[in-house]
Amino acid sequence: MKPLKQSKLLRKLLLRHKSNNRLWVSLLALCVGSTLLLLSVLIWWNFQQVLEGSSDNDSLGSTFLTIGKNVTNDMMGKPDISLFKPREIEAMRSAPQVQDMGVLVSNRFPVYATFNAGIAGFSSEMFLEAVPERLLDKKPDGWHWQPGNLTVPIILSSDFLNLYNYGFALSQGLPQLSQSSIKALAFDLKIGRGDFTQTYTARVVGFSDRINSVLVPLSFVEYGNQTYAPNVVFAPSRLIVKVKDPSDNAFISFLKSRDYTTNAEQLRWNKLRVVIGGVTSATGLLALLLMGIGTLVFILFIELTIAKAAQSLSLLLQLGYSPRYLSLFMLRRFVPLVLLALAISALLACVAQDIVADKATVMNLTLPDTPGWQVWAVLAVSASMLLLFVSRAIVRAIK
Amino acid sequence: MRLSIEQLIPIPLKDKISEYNSRIWGQKLTFNTGEHIFIQAPSGTGKTTLIHFLYGLRKDFEGKIHWSAFKMNDINTEQLSQLRASSVSVIFQDMRLFPELTTWENLEIKRRLTGTVTEHDAEKWLDRLGIKHKMNSLASTLSYGEQQRVAIIRAMLQPFEWLLMDEPFSHLDHANKQRAIALIKDVTSTNNAGIILADLEDNDYFTYTRKLLL
Repeated sequence: MKPLKQSKLLRKLLLRHKSNNRLWVSLLALCVGSTLLLLSVLIWWNFQQVLEGSSDNDSLGSTFLTIGKNVTNDMMGKPDISLFKPREIEAMRSAPQVQDMGVLVSNRFPVYATFNAGIAGFSSEMFLEAVPERLLDKKPDGWHWQPGNLTVPIILSSDFLNLYNYGFALSQGLPQLSQSSIKALAFDLKIGRGDFTQTYTARVVGFSDRINSVLVPLSFVEYGNQTYAPNVVFAPSRLIVKVKDPSDNAFISFLKSRDYTTNAEQLRWNKLRVVIGGVTSATGLLALLLMGIGTLVFILFIELTIAKAAQSLSLLLQLGYSPRYLSLFMLRRFVPLVLLALAISALLACVAQDIVADKATVMNLTLPDTPGWQVWAVLAVSASMLLLFVSRAIVRAIK
Repeated sequence: MRLSIEQLIPIPLKDKISEYNSRIWGQKLTFNTGEHIFIQAPSGTGKTTLIHFLYGLRKDFEGKIHWSAFKMNDINTEQLSQLRASSVSVIFQDMRLFPELTTWENLEIKRRLTGTVTEHDAEKWLDRLGIKHKMNSLASTLSYGEQQRVAIIRAMLQPFEWLLMDEPFSHLDHANKQRAIALIKDVTSTNNAGIILADLEDNDYFTYTRKLLL
């Protein structure tokens, strides 16, 4: 006689009534629910990454404002009045909503740029400014300078390029330039005066939407200022501040009371942030609801299967099978299905994150290729809850 | 394993029992290991009810039933399954086979629970009771007599100290009854087990140590 496996016999008795169609439908419901839950956590998490995330990102979560003093007629001819005194800088640092602050440091030495490209060329005196790296939109590759380096990286304001392309180039019949073509060009930067000059090769390595200036690494400006104006202490004329909520009344009245100016356009970001936050929460709630329904459908399926096998189950108990053994048997049949559904969800979340990371690169945002621990934590919690519910349903039905 | 019964009264039969003098209901009894007990019970006196009480299928009784350390009044489901799988076996009056399984599968589902009887022995017993040719037939297609023989063999496929039998031969002819009795005698003596047989009429199928009227 061919040996019969006990599990095969039990399957025949207890899972005979299992309808495969119902099983797939309930698994699908579970899978859709858990996938949506993971995706909504993924949306929230990616949003967090962009809002408060790594320094590589042009953070949308906080607003960066360039603050200056309002120039009035009274101030004309008295440039010192428009500069920030240390006391004022400290006050700004501790102003409401301010998360971070840096000063725009400008050059106190002559800078002369020369550009020669065969057919066209220009030379002009110019200015340079520097900010702490953490306040840049995005730190470009090669954003680094130390004494001895002959190449200086530059970040140019996008507005300057627009002014050139749509104003200057058109009116003068000059070619318009794209960001990448500008990056390909190099020009000479001569600093210093008289016999004490040094010439560097300058390259535009990035563009800033945030700061209207010509930016070089802080180390370059500090080096130049120390070399050519060693004994002068200069106060900054502009501050760059990172604020959590620029529309906050306390912050606005702080600016007004001191007659500071800033770019009001930035305030619109904040409204968008609130809207996205709301949408994310709503998606999360909906996903939670769907996950709940998915779980319920799956548990109902298990209970139905057990109810249909009630007679066999009761006879097995009478023959001496223990409820624990039978519960484990049922768990061994259903838990892999639950885990399969969750594994599919996890896989879909990974694929989604990969796609999102790719899309984000186009928008100049850096997002991780794989979901973060928060997403896995939600998966682990939902898996534990699900397994708990399923086990309880099975144990209760068998006892 | 010692079985003791104390003041046992089935709640649904409470009024009826007070009308006659039962040797079991409401009495204090102790059955020692290896005893052969016959319980004669006319229809309606609670024969099946008693077997179900002893086997832990029903709890609607007053009084006490103790299988050594196991107290049936407050036994939990895990203990009950332990008792049933390794100490007390039963032949139900209504057989209780799985109709969707074959004869062999019905035996295997029990045999594999403890694995104490070999496949070879089980096959041999089928042959002894003359139903080997029905091995692959669905239980639902067997006659009552055949089902009863399968139920008898199934009860033997586990270690036991007591065998409870509720009209175990009601569907068997004389020859089959004798073969079944011989098999039960062999297996119970191998197990050094006691038996409790409940039936309508008096009989001498086994050498009883006590005969009680329910």
